[in-house]
Amino acid sequence: MSGNDINRRDFLKYMGLGGVSAAALSGCDMPTTVTLEEGKETVVSYLAPEEYVIPGIGVWYASTCQQCPSACGVHGRVREGRLLKVEGNPDSPINGVGLCQMGQASVQTHYNPDRITQPMVRQGGDLVPVSWDEVWKLMQEKASNVAPGRSAWFTGTVSGHQSVLLAELKTAWGGDHFTYEAINNAVGEAVNKEVLGDAMPSYHIAKAKTVLSFGADFLGTWLSPVHFSQEYAEFRSGDRGVLIQVEPKMSMTGMNADLWVAARPGTEGVLALGIANVLLTKHQLDGASLSVAQRDVIAQYSAEKVTEITGVAGETVSRIAAYLKERSPSVVLSGASAHGHVNGYQNAMAIMMLNVLLGNIGKTIEASNSVMFDELRARTGSSRALLDFTKAVGDGQYDVVFFQGANPVYSAPNHLALSEKLSKVPFKVVFSMFMDETTMVADVVLPLSSSYEEWATHVAPYQPKGGAISMSQPVMKQLYPETRAFGDLLLGMLKHRGVEGYADFDDYYAYLRGVLKSLPASLKDGKSDDVFWADTLQRGFIKASASGSALTAVVGDITQVSQKPATDYPMHLVPSIHQNMWDGRNANLPWLQEAPDQVSKVFWDSWAELHPKTADKLGVKEGDFIRVESAQGAVEVQVYIFKGVHPDVVAIPMGQGHEAYGRYAKGVGVNVLKMLSPAIEEKSGEIAAYATQVRISKTGKHAKLARLGGSEYQMGRKLVATVAADVFRRTEGGSDVA
Amino acid sequence: MSLKNVLENWSNYRKGAEEGGHHTYEHMWGMAIDLNKCTGCNACSVACYAENNLATVGKDRMMKHQGMHWLRMERYWDEPDLGGDDNEFQVRGGSVLPMMCQQCNSATCEPVCPVAATYHTPDGLNAQVYNRCIGSRYCSNNCPYRLRYFNFYSYYEESWPAPLHMQLNPDLSVRDKGVMEKCTFCVQRIRTAKDTAQREERVVKDGDVITACAQTCPTQAIIFGDLLDKTSKVSKVWESQQVVLGKAKQSKENKELRGYRVLEGLNTDPKVLYLDRVREA
Amino acid sequence: MQTKDIDENIAWAKINADVLRSMENPRMGYWIAVVCCLAMVSCAVVAEIYQYQTGLGPANLTWSQMWGLYIATFVFWIGMSHSGTLLSAILHIIHADWRKPIYRFAEAMTTFSLMTAGLFPIIHLGRVWNMYWVLPYVSDRGIWPNFRSPLSWDAFAITTYLTSSAMFLFIGMIPDLAICRDNARGWRQKLYTVLSLGWQGDDRQWRNFRRIYLLMACFLIPLAVSVHSIVSADFAMSIMPGWHVTTFPPYFVAGALYSGCAAIITLFIILRYFFRFEEYMTIPILEKTCKLTFAIAMVWTYLNLIEFAATWYGHDMVAKELLYWKFTGPYAPYFWMMLFLGSVMPFTLAVEKLRRHLPTMFVVSLFLNLGMWLERWMIVGPTLSQNYEPFAWSIVWPSMVQWAIVFGSFGWFGLLFLVFVKVFPSVSMYEVKEMVFHRRTAHRPDLAVSLHRRAEDPQPGSTPSTKGV
Repeated sequence: MSGNDINRRDFLKYMGLGGVSAAALSGCDMPTTVTLEEGKETVVSYLAPEEYVIPGIGVWYASTCQQCPSACGVHGRVREGRLLKVEGNPDSPINGVGLCQMGQASVQTHYNPDRITQPMVRQGGDLVPVSWDEVWKLMQEKASNVAPGRSAWFTGTVSGHQSVLLAELKTAWGGDHFTYEAINNAVGEAVNKEVLGDAMPSYHIAKAKTVLSFGADFLGTWLSPVHFSQEYAEFRSGDRGVLIQVEPKMSMTGMNADLWVAARPGTEGVLALGIANVLLTKHQLDGASLSVAQRDVIAQYSAEKVTEITGVAGETVSRIAAYLKERSPSVVLSGASAHGHVNGYQNAMAIMMLNVLLGNIGKTIEASNSVMFDELRARTGSSRALLDFTKAVGDGQYDVVFFQGANPVYSAPNHLALSEKLSKVPFKVVFSMFMDETTMVADVVLPLSSSYEEWATHVAPYQPKGGAISMSQPVMKQLYPETRAFGDLLLGMLKHRGVEGYADFDDYYAYLRGVLKSLPASLKDGKSDDVFWADTLQRGFIKASASGSALTAVVGDITQVSQKPATDYPMHLVPSIHQNMWDGRNANLPWLQEAPDQVSKVFWDSWAELHPKTADKLGVKEGDFIRVESAQGAVEVQVYIFKGVHPDVVAIPMGQGHEAYGRYAKGVGVNVLKMLSPAIEEKSGEIAAYATQVRISKTGKHAKLARLGGSEYQMGRKLVATVAADVFRRTEGGSDVA
Repeated sequence: MSLKNVLENWSNYRKGAEEGGHHTYEHMWGMAIDLNKCTGCNACSVACYAENNLATVGKDRMMKHQGMHWLRMERYWDEPDLGGDDNEFQVRGGSVLPMMCQQCNSATCEPVCPVAATYHTPDGLNAQVYNRCIGSRYCSNNCPYRLRYFNFYSYYEESWPAPLHMQLNPDLSVRDKGVMEKCTFCVQRIRTAKDTAQREERVVKDGDVITACAQTCPTQAIIFGDLLDKTSKVSKVWESQQVVLGKAKQSKENKELRGYRVLEGLNTDPKVLYLDRVREA
Repeated sequence: MQTKDIDENIAWAKINADVLRSMENPRMGYWIAVVCCLAMVSCAVVAEIYQYQTGLGPANLTWSQMWGLYIATFVFWIGMSHSGTLLSAILHIIHADWRKPIYRFAEAMTTFSLMTAGLFPIIHLGRVWNMYWVLPYVSDRGIWPNFRSPLSWDAFAITTYLTSSAMFLFIGMIPDLAICRDNARGWRQKLYTVLSLGWQGDDRQWRNFRRIYLLMACFLIPLAVSVHSIVSADFAMSIMPGWHVTTFPPYFVAGALYSGCAAIITLFIILRYFFRFEEYMTIPILEKTCKLTFAIAMVWTYLNLIEFAATWYGHDMVAKELLYWKFTGPYAPYFWMMLFLGSVMPFTLAVEKLRRHLPTMFVVSLFLNLGMWLERWMIVGPTLSQNYEPFAWSIVWPSMVQWAIVFGSFGWFGLLFLVFVKVFPSVSMYEVKEMVFHRRTAHRPDLAVSLHRRAEDPQPGSTPSTKGV
């Protein structure tokens, strides 16, 4: 501060205006807000706190976590106007008090230093910051008179009233809407639909005594992991249930399994049939729920044949069958590693058949819970959306595309050539918080508020305990004045478009309040609108459950068609899903980058998992770089060797290898999704993400693998001792000590 | 300064040293972690980062073991030669072990600190006084669990670029270089609970305090509470497992009970009880 | 072949002249040595400034390996300081008079290696600026250091030992300083006048001098033993495998004497060569030092074996595992090298022919000290790399910052020593005279009498005065 350029305002500030003047003035019976020079400035005491701000005391606000589509309920702790931490909302019907590490790290999404703070427009090849007025003008110019069918929305999972507004926009514009999730359960949903008549039934792991999971990482990434973790805890107490996990690469769930089985990738269905065969023959299970033709198919899969195809030893198959028989009821789940093949649907069908055969339908798999309002339900994403979208874009079908909540330029495989095709779209509008790969190619970038700054309603795709609408409210003031809530922007677009019925709402908040007023009185417990509103905000969700119709149990075609492995590319690539980077959206959170992966304990990097046998054959040791090459691309990545991966498999986690997306994500690791093959799941049209064949070679380069932990063995110390389940049931059966 | 003062302090000090520190504990905060439930998901560790202003140090420093993970999720594979399997695969999955400061009652770190920056509080906590620490790092060297972390750099300079720094918890400090730190059992939450209880003119009761890790745990595998309060949940687990504080070797009536403390035989008397992992066969 | 420790016929004036000559204006070689040492020190200073500003991270210290070369080198220098005490105090008390020509520089070495050692705990602190907190200064806040911590014992032990050994060095030098005073001019004369404390060499002074010297010697012996025992307590008092060893105090003391003796051999040869002290630092004296070193080396080896055996027969699985790992793991090359240098190499000292060959002895003595330095590293390093918690196992090699500071510490020691040899007599003149006198009288009593007469000593039979020499 030099010489004379100090102005009065600064002076007062430096003098500690708040305290001094307020104290002085209060002596003259002046209010704490005084006008010094009339009409010029308002002096507000620092001592007068804003509403709810009690210095030193944290206040908790309910909101909804947006780090993955599970939509867990959270409480955000706010102190002195800052969001400090989030915890699970104990009343939440989804997660209760628990929260996963992605949820914990959601504050870093909110406070991320790489957030976009201003709207931007592409001018002369570069994105330059502009004002909102200019953006709206440009949108008006370029996007308002698009012919019907010439525009599209490309989003992640959407739900709640955002979904409603999107549908309105779609109608108004006559465009398409693609909901894309690289990590999805679309094949499973299709099979559920066919067999059970319900795409998303309720799974009751806690009620089961045996869980047989074919690649469903329900503790880490499947449907609603925190909820299933809660159920898992119950499942493991008392008369402890048995968990069997079949997958090509050990997931977090696999790490906790009593029996971990590595079947040859793509043969999960055969294994399921083999198990069914043992159940029917050896255990004399009543097969009446299956047709004769189906039983004939099953009968073909003798122990020897199953072992030959799947590589799983006959005794293991028997052991699984014995567990299923003895420890009933059971539940059989299927996940990404079973679905992601050309025959994924067959696999899932054979796996679902086990549920029908074992009589689990109605016991551990029950009718779905959902929100009573169809239009609010989550539009769950699929990877087929990406294929369809790419094709349409390649055909030059769209003049305008709006992106939100999805980063297809990052996650689209090379063979789709999405980036090149996107250049055919003249006007790309990206709603985004970060400069990710998709945002980089945008023509207009609309900066979004974080989920802790905006009003929103969300509906979780998987509703474990009755349907509920989750509320998001701004738990703190916007960090950047120029960012906008997605809901506000949708409303704005509707208003600009002149869609009827929205002109009266000043903002999305007003819209939501208005909409909630119109909810049926039965949901409001007889409360007045204002009380109901306050109550909803406090609780974080509205119970609005509709129970689905009873499940059917009609097993479809379970014939298995065997796959011929490509000889040039002998290995299977597993783009594994991890509960940290997810599909790459969490790669910009330093806490998650620094948190070692649950299984391999690698941090801040990508790695390739190899079985010791494979590694020996190749002559590599931990930390060596190998080249993993598919017909569509190649990556060089360091090796982690352990016995939790099938010898024919090389597993590389997805989510890293960003070319943009801020300082924490950019340049970390490799993007395995780029090298996926064009294989498609035949029945559902989903990307067969686990069907890529690769070859691996040694590069001769070596570096220390970024892995936490010295020894991977306990070296005889009793750090974690293991007791047999029988002992556990004897000492603690029926009582939950912890 | 009076001579009397000095002499009194000295005799207090002597008394404390001779009698092994505090005799009367107000609380005895302890934990019980059920490894049958723990899935190794790491949520506790990240929650700890969020609650306790732990610095992220980046890849290179993490690789050098200069990270600040107060709660370290350890993962072990079954040993072929030590009762585990020698199969082609890890058929029994892995073993996970969430390790945070074990808050030992006979802590090996405490006697060796030359300036008494780490000491035992009347709450039974193994406290670390950042302001007093001179960074000799002897405490960490003498910790058989290796659960003490040192500020090798002024991490705050790089760990929280604006506006990430707005997330920092004002209930506790951000540590500068040269200071040892470790899990405190969320002492700031204990403090807040005590203040609240005092304001409400009652005693701290079970459930008033929960550590960040225990709170976020999706399977609720971590139980935290006061071991002096015989009605608390954690006391009951200790009791049911027949594990007694202050003993290097437990004389359990039922040998099959799962409760144990890590490296109990070293007589560090840790206050974190683990319950064995369970597997079929 | 020279068999006598010293030539009995050497004239006292020649002794004075020879020693004083060594303190004359330095030649080129000296300045080169000074510059080298300064360069080494500046390496360390740069590294330390960097470390001070950034923290201990660049030193490659980690949460699993909190200590590194700093502590190892600290122990090394503390160890080296023990030789001076051994030579001046122990050998003084047992009347081994061959120590006389060489004890002065050994004592100086004691003081300087302590001054070097003392720097390391400070350098290694995370918050150097608060180092005085380990001292029990009286504070109104009633905050004391933790008297249970071996590190605070260290602080007391080292400061006490440093003070005592510096005093011992100084007191033992007083008669020589008087000689210097009488032969010097300019600033030197002023300095020596002050330092010689008005020494006139009269009877009362000699009697008091003898008494205090003996007293200091008696005081220093237990002190030296305790200092290294306390340093060993840094490790032995801990719970860690490989540190928690009962034999550590004697083991450390033996190691200390060992490295000290080896360092004496090194400096002996250097001084003998550069200052032409062939007549005083004779081969027989070197031989005696070598034999002493050999004996200590065998004690050290024995204690090593005891440690291995105790671990081997013990029930501490972790300690056993660590020991095995020391022999086979990544530290094995260094560990075997330490065993070779520490236990096999000293056998060269047992061979008379080699013992008398100065270049060989020079190299051997350096290797012995390298072995002893490795020993300290093998105590600090492996235990921290592999102990109770397998998940925390790690091998982190020291970084350039650590190496630079360790390297610089040798420069610092060298620099102090170089200054010393030009300012103070590095051979005790009066004690050499005594030695010559005693040897001569032992053989030819008549000569002794005549000698006294020649010196015109007013009191025949007592120790000669320096006056008029």
